Amino acid sequence: MKIQKLRSKLAITLSLVLTAGLVATGLPAAHADTVGLKPTAAQLTAWKGKEITYYFYNDSQAELDTTKAQIADFEKLTGAKVKLDVIPYTSLDTQLQARLAAGNVPDVARLNNPGLYIKDSLDLEQYFSRKYAAEFIKGSTLQVTDPTTKKLIGVPYDLSMNGPIINVDQFKKAGVAVPTSWNWAELIAAAKKVRTANGTEYAFAMDKSGHRFSTVMSQFGAFMVDKNQKNVLPTSKFRAEKSLKMITDLYKADLAPRDLWIGTGTKYASPIAVFIGQQVPVFFSGNFNLATLVKDAKFNFQVVPNPKELNGGGWPGGKFLVAFKASKTPDLAAYFLHYLADAAQMDQMDKNCFWLPTRNDVVAKGVAYPSRQLDMSIYLADTAKTPAAAFGIQSVPTLTGNIYNKLRDLMTEVMAGKITAKQAIQTQTEFIDAQLATLRK
Amino acid sequence: MPYLFVAPNMFIFFTFIIWPAIRGFRISFFDSIDGRTFTPVGTGNYRTIFGDPTVASVAKNTATYVIFYVLISTFLATALALVVNEQKFAKGFFRAIIFLPVMLSPIVVGLIWNDVLDRKVGPLNSLLQALGGGSPGWLVEPKLGMIAVIFVGVWVHIGFYSIILLAGLQGIDRSLLEAASMDGATRAQIIRTIILPLLKPTTLVIIILSTIHGFQSFDFIYTLTGGGPLGATTLIVQYIYDSAFQTPIQYGLGSAAGVVLFMIIFAFTALNFLVGKKREAI
Repeated sequence: MKIQKLRSKLAITLSLVLTAGLVATGLPAAHADTVGLKPTAAQLTAWKGKEITYYFYNDSQAELDTTKAQIADFEKLTGAKVKLDVIPYTSLDTQLQARLAAGNVPDVARLNNPGLYIKDSLDLEQYFSRKYAAEFIKGSTLQVTDPTTKKLIGVPYDLSMNGPIINVDQFKKAGVAVPTSWNWAELIAAAKKVRTANGTEYAFAMDKSGHRFSTVMSQFGAFMVDKNQKNVLPTSKFRAEKSLKMITDLYKADLAPRDLWIGTGTKYASPIAVFIGQQVPVFFSGNFNLATLVKDAKFNFQVVPNPKELNGGGWPGGKFLVAFKASKTPDLAAYFLHYLADAAQMDQMDKNCFWLPTRNDVVAKGVAYPSRQLDMSIYLADTAKTPAAAFGIQSVPTLTGNIYNKLRDLMTEVMAGKITAKQAIQTQTEFIDAQLATLRK
Repeated sequence: MPYLFVAPNMFIFFTFIIWPAIRGFRISFFDSIDGRTFTPVGTGNYRTIFGDPTVASVAKNTATYVIFYVLISTFLATALALVVNEQKFAKGFFRAIIFLPVMLSPIVVGLIWNDVLDRKVGPLNSLLQALGGGSPGWLVEPKLGMIAVIFVGVWVHIGFYSIILLAGLQGIDRSLLEAASMDGATRAQIIRTIILPLLKPTTLVIIILSTIHGFQSFDFIYTLTGGGPLGATTLIVQYIYDSAFQTPIQYGLGSAAGVVLFMIIFAFTALNFLVGKKREAI
């Protein structure tokens, strides 16, 4: 018990130091331009009884519950109504594209691929000035900045960090120490040993996602697009091949859930149910799973640092809030977006849902998570260790989805033995070239 | 006056079927990644469809699926209808059991069979292992994936076809069967020489309907295999869906593929109509 308390205290201290460190190491201090922004009397009169739609998806029940509570507070504050449209993650873009085409546009949306909607998004600078972007972590607004006008068209709502989560009980039973640092060979060796000792179906599982695999490529020093929108995969192709072969070999050898990856066609698939069912001791995913694991896992689990090869750290990702030009009350939509992304709401969301903050002031203050403080501090530490080159792909926000999905599909072909890792990387290189060429048309 | 009565239905039909179809046909001559801005490409999308090796593979998958689905469905539905028609005990119960899968949501069907066919923990492979068999990768091996999809497709629809055939069977004049029986015909002879020929018109309807269903299959396949493994169960409707709604989004290409599917189904519907006409003339 004493050790647990000590660990918890240590984790809180570490988390506060690390979050403060994020700001100290090159991140700008928060600008107070829109902090504490309240609606004017005229706005309140104009907004009374007006309804806006919030297009939303959630990774956990906690996210939905917190959002509903925040909406209730917003409705009290403004007198406006917010209709919450909860959309399954797998059809997030499909449904939104259809709604945009049909003119049934929501006012505000939580998205993970905002680059697809740049032309439809509201220019936030006309409501909150240009300095609003500076309230968020440097670099995190790249994906919500119009590449042509350089205007802010959305805000980063949460920062996600990829990394491994382990089943501590199974590690202990196997006599394998919980790692504090490791490389990929050590991770795989430990996973195999734990699998054998516990008789689990698999040793390792990763979300079926090109984004998640990009983390491994980054750790081996391979990247796809740089900040100048240039294809850099040819310069690191051997490292990319090595990392791709390493992961796909695990699937080929049935050490990872091949059925989940190959048997789901072109769909995203998460092995979280396999991890919760204790059929895999090492689950490579991200912090967005913690709320679900806290609720559903009937065993001790822990986030462990990302393996380090040439690089350590994870891979940047996250979700974004965007308001749409087609809103009938764009000022109300913009204000609602601002409200959701203000320091108080973000802090509450981060605490309840184990999110990583994107606002400089929240990062500087540190988030006192009610539990899993050690896990969150590991994610924060990995955020700081993530190489700058990993942010390069965000320079092509309209293409990231295509590039990640192609990588995922090529991995499927390698796992099935249809092509080699070398052929996959060559095809991916050609695909990226073709995609980048569309930008120049 | 009669036009007034059909007006509500015609309004709905025009708004939700005819108008979108016309729009879809028009969009098939454009390129669009967002459904709002359209660049004219002439017949470019159609040329892509007929020149793309992926489409060749999708066409092959669709043809394989439709042929086996139609043959197996028709054969099994006829057999089931014959058995149920002869049943004396708990008739209603067995008919309800046969019809039950038809009432299930195709999404649920896909999810259930996805669990049942799981290579490692699925009940089917557990049973096979208990019987000394292996663990076939139903959803991992391309050939097995197609077999699994055909099986589930037949399982879902067979009740519907059986009920139609049952109605056809019950329309056959019993006196013909009794006369044949009195003349010493065996059960097999009665089926082969009397029942099946008289059931031909209904069987033809089943063949046409199942062909159309086969071409339209998507929902349960999408939840069962997602079109995998390695695109082995990607049929034409999923190709339309993927082109239009999965990145890289190509609404024009999806619409063009939709037009091609329409032409195929239209051909079969026309065939159905012509056969019906010919039968009436006889």
